[in-house]
Amino acid sequence: MSATIAVTLVVVAAVVIELVLPGRSVYHSGWYNVALAALAIVAVVAGRRSLRRAGDARLRFAVTAMIAGCALAGLAGVASGLLAPDDQTFIGAPGQRLRVESLGVLTFPLAGGDSAAAGGVTLERPLHAAVTIGERPYYAGNFVLRATPRDVVYVEAADQRGNRLTVTQPSGSVFLSPVLLMEHRQRIAGMELPYDSFGVPAAQRVVKAVMFSAAQAAMLLRGGARLGEPAVLFAVDDENQRPVANAIALSAGGRAVRAGGLVLRGDAMTYPAITVAATPNLIATAFGALLVFCGLTAAIVTSLTKRPLLPQRSLGRS
Amino acid sequence: MFRYVVWAIVAVALAIAFVVLEPFFISPSAHGAGPQGLVGEAAPVFALRDDRGVPVSLDRYRGRIVVMNLWASWCPPCRAEMPDLQRLADTYGTRGIAIVGVNEGESPQRAREFADSLKIRFPIWIDGSQQYGRTYAALGLPTTVMLDANGVVARGFDGPLTFAEMQAAVAPLVRSH
Repeated sequence: MSATIAVTLVVVAAVVIELVLPGRSVYHSGWYNVALAALAIVAVVAGRRSLRRAGDARLRFAVTAMIAGCALAGLAGVASGLLAPDDQTFIGAPGQRLRVESLGVLTFPLAGGDSAAAGGVTLERPLHAAVTIGERPYYAGNFVLRATPRDVVYVEAADQRGNRLTVTQPSGSVFLSPVLLMEHRQRIAGMELPYDSFGVPAAQRVVKAVMFSAAQAAMLLRGGARLGEPAVLFAVDDENQRPVANAIALSAGGRAVRAGGLVLRGDAMTYPAITVAATPNLIATAFGALLVFCGLTAAIVTSLTKRPLLPQRSLGRS
Repeated sequence: MFRYVVWAIVAVALAIAFVVLEPFFISPSAHGAGPQGLVGEAAPVFALRDDRGVPVSLDRYRGRIVVMNLWASWCPPCRAEMPDLQRLADTYGTRGIAIVGVNEGESPQRAREFADSLKIRFPIWIDGSQQYGRTYAALGLPTTVMLDANGVVARGFDGPLTFAEMQAAVAPLVRSH
């Protein structure tokens, strides 16, 4: 009986840990899931033996509940570990709506020049109210979602007379977005720097933007970059990717600079991405843990209320 | 009695096992939706200014069918489509349809010059930070979105439309209005 209880508690504890600390790669590893499944099987086999030996109906109920709870929690853990996809990060452009199968629709807030409309990423699910995903984990079915900040750059382009021009991202996730998601990396002077590119069709220009954090800008750059300010380096080509005159300029602290016949401004900021990690099903784990708890309580109560056998007294005269 | 309890527990456990396993057979994958993906949803509204600097909003068109065209002066198909939009405004303007041209990312002067060159008389709004283009998931320019009288997205089109296509798209909205 004690072996059944011990193994059952280990299985439930392991699955609860997966829920509390989601997103660890070990949960998807083969050895971990084989061990979890083996422990659950051991608990069921040991439980069945205890069941055969249990004479009391309450004790049989207790053991059955524990076996069922352990099997359920174990199944939830192993299913999540073996069948669930690896962790994914959804990077959306401001204003973009991403439909995520088996989850719902993620709506990314506006940002940059329209910061008044900014907020968190919202998740809309069928039969659920829309929720804003923050840095604290949000459990949705078999997944846990969390917002993580990323570096992005808000850009503005104008002609030499100061007339604002449309910014496009033909290869980006949103065509008409002035927010560069900086998903690419380039190595400059031993540092991995995020970069992205955008088009200015009215001027037939393609612009590459490399972002320097405040610390990187202070280490690498002079001219334009002040200490403590992030900076964006612009390199302007024509629409056939040929370089143009005076094509490189540095915009630090969001100040406007001239490059390649354009007036460009780059504002480095952070913007949320959504990390989705698979977890054991919350309802199944909670129900399994509840069954184990009920079974354990019933077993303790049964053992405490068991009538002790009275010692037989000698009837003979002393 | 005990047997029934056991079977009940097993049945509940199997039902929950189905709930646990089923979602994993559909892996989460994302895809963006074009303007057609917003059909049936309340149209996002942003406060903008028109090409003369007057504050404007879609809210003031509630109760009317709205044809909203996203465009820019550097876009040749936008230029080709504009006269047909003006014709639509002339034809249906008195029948409860409002045509609005939303310039994406350009200055009011540039937008006004462009509209004047084509003798455009319907309202031109200036969306400097391209909020409409982003939120209505424009895959390119021009993009046309049609809203019903309740402010719900009824149709979304990527690319230029001919006058006949515009008429065919607004006809059901006019009938149900």
